[in-house]
Amino acid sequence: MSTLLLEALSNSAARDPGACAIVWRNTKWSYADLACAAARVSNVLAMRPMQAGARIGLLMRNSPQYVACFYGVLGAGGATVALNSQERASVLARQLQHSGAELVIVDRDHVEFEPLRQLANEHGIEVLPVTLGDDQHSQAQFASEFGDTEREWISAAREDLAMIIYTSGTTGRPKGVMISHGNLAANTAAIVAYLGLHPADRGLCVLPFHFSYGNSMLHTHLAAGATLIIEDNVAFPQMVLRRMQDEAVTGFSGVPSTFALLLGRCRLQDYDLSSVRYLTQAGGAMPRPMIERLRSQLPGARLFVMYGQTEATARLTYLDPELLERKLGSVGKPLAGVEIKVCDTSGYELPPGHTGEIRARGPNIMLGYWRDPEATQQVLRDGWLHTGDLGHKDEEGFLYIDGRAVEMIKVGAFRVSPQEVEEAISALPGVEEVAVTAIPDELLGHAIKAVIVPRAGGRLNILQVKAHCREHLATYKVPKVIEFASSLPRTSSGKIQRFRLA
Amino acid sequence: MTDDLREQVRAFILENYLFTSDPDALGLDDSLLGRGIVDSTGMLEIIFFIEEQLGVKVKDEEMIPDNLDSVNKITNFVASKRQAA
Repeated sequence: MSTLLLEALSNSAARDPGACAIVWRNTKWSYADLACAAARVSNVLAMRPMQAGARIGLLMRNSPQYVACFYGVLGAGGATVALNSQERASVLARQLQHSGAELVIVDRDHVEFEPLRQLANEHGIEVLPVTLGDDQHSQAQFASEFGDTEREWISAAREDLAMIIYTSGTTGRPKGVMISHGNLAANTAAIVAYLGLHPADRGLCVLPFHFSYGNSMLHTHLAAGATLIIEDNVAFPQMVLRRMQDEAVTGFSGVPSTFALLLGRCRLQDYDLSSVRYLTQAGGAMPRPMIERLRSQLPGARLFVMYGQTEATARLTYLDPELLERKLGSVGKPLAGVEIKVCDTSGYELPPGHTGEIRARGPNIMLGYWRDPEATQQVLRDGWLHTGDLGHKDEEGFLYIDGRAVEMIKVGAFRVSPQEVEEAISALPGVEEVAVTAIPDELLGHAIKAVIVPRAGGRLNILQVKAHCREHLATYKVPKVIEFASSLPRTSSGKIQRFRLA
Repeated sequence: MTDDLREQVRAFILENYLFTSDPDALGLDDSLLGRGIVDSTGMLEIIFFIEEQLGVKVKDEEMIPDNLDSVNKITNFVASKRQAA
């Protein structure tokens, strides 16, 4: 049976307390530092007092402090609500309210700190500000905010809620994926096993921890007793590559746009990346030429192509790097403990070569959507997760993704609900109706396009619409292209034909 | 001359990332990444803007926050490159 995260962190800290757990900017936290800081957070929370399963929001960029707070919440018997740091305060407040969180721990330098604090106060949610020190004083600073009393961690049961991750939903219906302690433990153990992670590994992380892929990268490295090096972003690709070289990084994970940015202007051969033993890629299909460039520029690294979704904690399948050439285009086979089948709309399993909906079951499948039994019932049926993704298997059981049955736009690796963007635009005076669709984008795979029918006599311009979206939506949800039209294309029954908008 | 360049840079960022022409929406020293004005792909677009609209080639080693992470930094970087050319 897989080890729960708290126990895994304790084991790593007991095995080699001085080993480096997290490197961020100019600060390094050892396993002992991290476990101690997390136990201090647990103490502060336990003093409140806090009920078992209480939701605690986290709004922080990737940092050792985020990690201490995440484990501290679990250790106090709570569940984390890891918030997307790119979202606006209004959306964050709605998610916190929906989660029933009583407290949110917020980076006091976050751009949305003040507006969120005001909204949280209005809804009776306490705000605990934290300073994200990034130099050698970071731990002393953290101790000054959380005190120096450590609290023994409360053991969790496998079925207990550990975290809620909000994925794209509409304004009135945020979708909170409920992940249990058992889900995290099972997915973490399976990933550690297939990547062969061990204490000497040094992974470089550019993926946000609030996102299931970044979350899995964090916990797998800590469970393995490895070192995780945090890089804030890939805006300056040559700095990321130099960091990989200087830190003797052994592993790197990205989504297709991460690799597009790295390969866009830099030549990997210009850096000594001989320490890199593996790369992982998830979050949508990576074009074949990019895979080939990556392999030719970094021949010593094994490339794992993977597939998953938040509802499965993170990962469902991976392709063995040795088979990359022979099975190019496939996302591989299920990881240990996971079963996958491809079904037609009646639920019958399809033979190889036939496309249908991908269904999955295993110890990593979520508990459901928080406070939404109806949405849960739609995707968790007959003991299987109905992923909403379309795919097929080949004769040897390798899975291929063919598209998505559910209307979602994938911008970079983020899922965006067209309805959420439409709702935001509809709120703008002068908009009669609006429809949103995906258009191809060289870097991100897809970008968002909105077609707006203005109200008679209304005065609207593109900048005004984009500014409104930026105020209410995360930046990646702002449509790249906006067009005005006199009507929207519809079927005879009146349904909007999104595909005709592109 | 530098003032014109500064306004050109500011106007580009205001129009493409803040979707406004109000200069007060962006301080000259505001961190573009820190304030969440641009993300990683936005930074790549700014580099294209510098190369294609301002006519200055950005070398790999010059792609650093000190040259690109605010209106003033971009302006100073472009001005010094033009001077050296």
